[in-house]
Amino acid sequence: MKLTNSIGAFALAATLAMPAFAQDTKVIGVSIPAATHGWAGGMNFHAQQAVDRLEAVYPQLDFVLATASDPAKQVNDIEDMMATRNIDALVVLPFESEPLTSPVKAVADSGAWVTVVDRGLAIEGIEDLYVAGDNSGFGKVSGEYMVSAMPDGGKIVAFRGIPTSIDNERVAGFEAAIEGSGIEIIGMEHGNWNRDDSFVVMEDFLSKHEQIDAVWASDDDMAIGVLAAIEAAGRDDIKFVLGGAGMKEMIARTRDGDAMIPANVTYPPAMIATAIEMTAVGLTSTAPVSGTFVIGSVLITQDNAAEFYYPDSPF
Amino acid sequence: MTEPLALSLTKICRSFGPVQVLHDVDITLAAGEVHALIGENGAGKSTTMKIMSGYLAPTSGVVALNDAPVSFANSQDAEAQGVVLIHQEFNLAEQLSVEQNIFLGHEKKRGFLLDKAAMQAEALALLARLNCQVDPSARVSDIANADKQMVEIAKALSRNARVLIMDEPTAVLTEREAEVLFVQVERLKAEGVAILFTSHKLDEVKRISDKITILRDGHVVSQGPTSDYNEDQMAEAMVGRDVSSLYPERTVPVGSDIALEVKGLSVAEFAHDISFTLKKGEILGVSGLIGSGRTETMEGLVGLRSSTGEVRLNGEVVHLKSPQQAQKAGVCYLTEDRKSRGLLLTKGMRENLTLQCLPDFTNYLIDQKSEDAALTKAIEDFDIRAPSRDVAVGNLSGGNQQKLLIAKVMLADPDIVIIDEPTRGIDIGTKQQIYEFIHALSGQGKSIIVISSEMQEVIGLADRVLVMRMGRIAGEVSGDDLTEDKIVRLAMGLDVNKEEAA
Amino acid sequence: MAAADTNPKPTMRLDLKVLGPILALVVLVVIGAMMNGNFLSAGNITNVLSRSAFIGIIAVGMTFVITAGGLDLSVGSMAAFIAGLMILVMNGLLPVMGVGWPLVFVGMLTAIVAGTAAGFINGFLITNMRIEAFIVTLGTMGIYRSLVTWLADGGTLSLDFGMRAIIRPIYFDGILGISWPIIVFALVAILGEVVMRRGAFGRHAAAVGSNDQVARYSSVNVNRVRMMTYVGLGVLVGIATIMYVPRLGSASSSTGVLWELEAIAAVIIGGTMLKGGFGRVWGTVIGVLILSLIGNILNLTDGVSPYLNGAVQGVIIILAVILQRDKKAEG
Repeated sequence: MKLTNSIGAFALAATLAMPAFAQDTKVIGVSIPAATHGWAGGMNFHAQQAVDRLEAVYPQLDFVLATASDPAKQVNDIEDMMATRNIDALVVLPFESEPLTSPVKAVADSGAWVTVVDRGLAIEGIEDLYVAGDNSGFGKVSGEYMVSAMPDGGKIVAFRGIPTSIDNERVAGFEAAIEGSGIEIIGMEHGNWNRDDSFVVMEDFLSKHEQIDAVWASDDDMAIGVLAAIEAAGRDDIKFVLGGAGMKEMIARTRDGDAMIPANVTYPPAMIATAIEMTAVGLTSTAPVSGTFVIGSVLITQDNAAEFYYPDSPF
Repeated sequence: MTEPLALSLTKICRSFGPVQVLHDVDITLAAGEVHALIGENGAGKSTTMKIMSGYLAPTSGVVALNDAPVSFANSQDAEAQGVVLIHQEFNLAEQLSVEQNIFLGHEKKRGFLLDKAAMQAEALALLARLNCQVDPSARVSDIANADKQMVEIAKALSRNARVLIMDEPTAVLTEREAEVLFVQVERLKAEGVAILFTSHKLDEVKRISDKITILRDGHVVSQGPTSDYNEDQMAEAMVGRDVSSLYPERTVPVGSDIALEVKGLSVAEFAHDISFTLKKGEILGVSGLIGSGRTETMEGLVGLRSSTGEVRLNGEVVHLKSPQQAQKAGVCYLTEDRKSRGLLLTKGMRENLTLQCLPDFTNYLIDQKSEDAALTKAIEDFDIRAPSRDVAVGNLSGGNQQKLLIAKVMLADPDIVIIDEPTRGIDIGTKQQIYEFIHALSGQGKSIIVISSEMQEVIGLADRVLVMRMGRIAGEVSGDDLTEDKIVRLAMGLDVNKEEAA
Repeated sequence: MAAADTNPKPTMRLDLKVLGPILALVVLVVIGAMMNGNFLSAGNITNVLSRSAFIGIIAVGMTFVITAGGLDLSVGSMAAFIAGLMILVMNGLLPVMGVGWPLVFVGMLTAIVAGTAAGFINGFLITNMRIEAFIVTLGTMGIYRSLVTWLADGGTLSLDFGMRAIIRPIYFDGILGISWPIIVFALVAILGEVVMRRGAFGRHAAAVGSNDQVARYSSVNVNRVRMMTYVGLGVLVGIATIMYVPRLGSASSSTGVLWELEAIAAVIIGGTMLKGGFGRVWGTVIGVLILSLIGNILNLTDGVSPYLNGAVQGVIIILAVILQRDKKAEG
């Protein structure tokens, strides 16, 4: 994990955003997408946990947590927080970059502290703190693992998520990493980060291709659908399936040495907790927290899997 | 109004599939003349009118305007040339204003915007020409039927109609409303409009038409100046047989047992404290003005509406809370509104016939063989005439629909049948048949209640008549008292005994 | 006009209303076979039929609801909720009953009972409370979707691994090489077709959908017929869920998303009238197969950008319906 931060910017931001602190109760708004798939479910869990923990630690802080099922709802949530709760800081994981940019900018312009998580806004420099997942890094680490696991090259099929910039960055990173390695992507379809969709797509890939050496499922939900389809077809040409994001069941199988799931790549949903915690620290102390904080993607193999297994998390 | 127009049909034939419905029909509508087209339901009147107005093309023959052959591409084309058909069911958008309806589809515009002022003015002028007082900005759903008819005519005139074809224009009008219409027909005639209309009311045909064409089974059976015919002659030509004795004589005497006794029946808002009895084999007429609560009372009796009061069948108290219970107890109600409550117009005859007692034809699965047998029997018993067995019921003529509706209800084998408006919109030949069915049923010992707005019908058919007024029974007449005058007096709330006072 | 013949003549009419959906299906099969040699392989056919089964079983029930003039938007989230409930019940009773078939039967029973209850609730609100079907089922759609998210704590409900091994054959095994979902779908479809065509209930549903006033005046218990269509649909959603859970052994808030629209689309493609009054179950089966085949063919071919899958599906749905329209639109 690397921390790129700019202390000068923080000093300026701190004086603007927090003219009077520690006196009265401060309100932190947290706006995140609803739990529509496994990763988002984990993210919701961590957000709730962070809020509960921090409310106990900092009695002078109040939290407002809102989950949105689409970008328009998220815009409404943020506007409501501004209008009715008079928030001093906003932690937002934008559903999509474009539609959320101007509402979040309005929050920043009002003088409140803004922390953006995971995906960036369309205009740079709005947020005080950016806690980012590294999507092209996620793709790159996945691709590099593929290359190392298949030194002689081979044929793979790849699964994409819901068409978004996140998905595009991951796939671009992956494709760049396997460039020239002899690994050929013979099929790529959207599994929409959904088990059922991925099951169906994998069934059809298996009908279409006689020989598949490995699968880049890119997400553990999709990996579960893929594995079920492979098992049902009884095919043994596929050596392994590489998922991603570190779902606990999948981490456990890697840890226990399941040959089909030899590795995983992190994209921790707990990054939302990091962001909330840093915002709370920023609002209650003079510690420097502004800038960009990139949470890199790490390769998990059997050797280090135990470190990444969180038994309490739903994800 | 531009030059007058005459429309003629020469040797027109029309077939639907294998069925030929018009045979060499010749009709000429002259400008400034009112032409009546009469015939039984299914004689081909509608088809003839549709061919005149571009809704249908003839299979063979010539349609000519001022002696020049034309072939209308569709009804809009015919309207553009001055020929307009006014349908029996009003073709108006109920939620729009009178003015909006008149100009619907050819609104006047100024640039992109509607020219409301010009349309208002012209609508007023058109309505004034028809001597109609209705406000052009009134919503059509709020105006009276007669005014709707006038709006239809104004709509036709706004399209510069010179040949006006009206399908039963008086069917939905009261007598007074019809009077207003006739005055306007005279006026249009004087302006040189050629008018053709159809009607089952022969007295009105006699009064306002100049010429008559009589159709039977798709053939013109008689044609000539109206002055050459009296009503009986018209009826005979239409039916092809003697119809002087429309109502059958009672052959089986009314029974003495009381089949139905109703005490203090009330239906909220519509009927209050209704009590009457019905004997076995009796035909009881129920008369009264429209809105007097006749239909609602009977619907309350059979559980179609919630009601209070005591009902006894053969002396035993019954609670008929739903039509299912009533049917099980042997009481069936035959609606006045066969099109929207009686029959499934998009379904075939078989489905309609057995709908009321489908469980009788079902033994895990529907027994289609016995359904077909039942239909065959119904077609025979009730003389239902249809082009084929699987025709959609909506395509049958009104009379045949009514016969099917009766057959359907009788399939449930009720002891007591309530028939609401048994012959509304039906030609005279079929009427006579339906009266015979009703008498035959009473002869079998079934008790029958007939609700009718036609005074002649209740008098001719019933043994005894209840007259309703404002949700209550105003009186009962029978025997020698059973006259039109007595019934009207009761229905209007006048003193029955002061006959001379009128 | 002549009196009708006393003997019904069998009329042979090959109109597009009947042929339309079949034609569309045949065209799709031909295209699929030309695009990929494996399309007609037993494996692929089994895949397509099995995955059609969930929507198919639900769509058969939906055919009755729509024929009777109703609509049910809640079936997708109802399926997700029932799946979640079924998994929770089986996981919860596992310590008591142990891994084995008795527990599977308890799970099945849970699904059927929950489906019946859910259908009854929809039906009750629509018939007895007289609320628009669209609004009622839009409401219950949101309710069930939220409930399953809540049950799963925002994540995924997973069946115990031991149970998963026991229950798995319900989706993947079968008799004579035909998998259970296909068998159940076929049975439901045949039963549905018979009831629709030859049963008093099917006739009554069509009568109610065609004109509920006529049905009421004809002594048909309109409310009961309506209610039974919703209850029947609920039971079928339960059966579909019994087929669904064994496949992946999990349920989440993304389970069954948009199933309701796929089921409704299948019903309409099959020639049932959206405004009610006429329905045919065999058409619905063909509609379901058409929808599944489109996805399958798009996955098997490379020509079309996956971004355009929805567009291709939309075009084919519209074409299938155009093929069977009554007549040229007037006006």
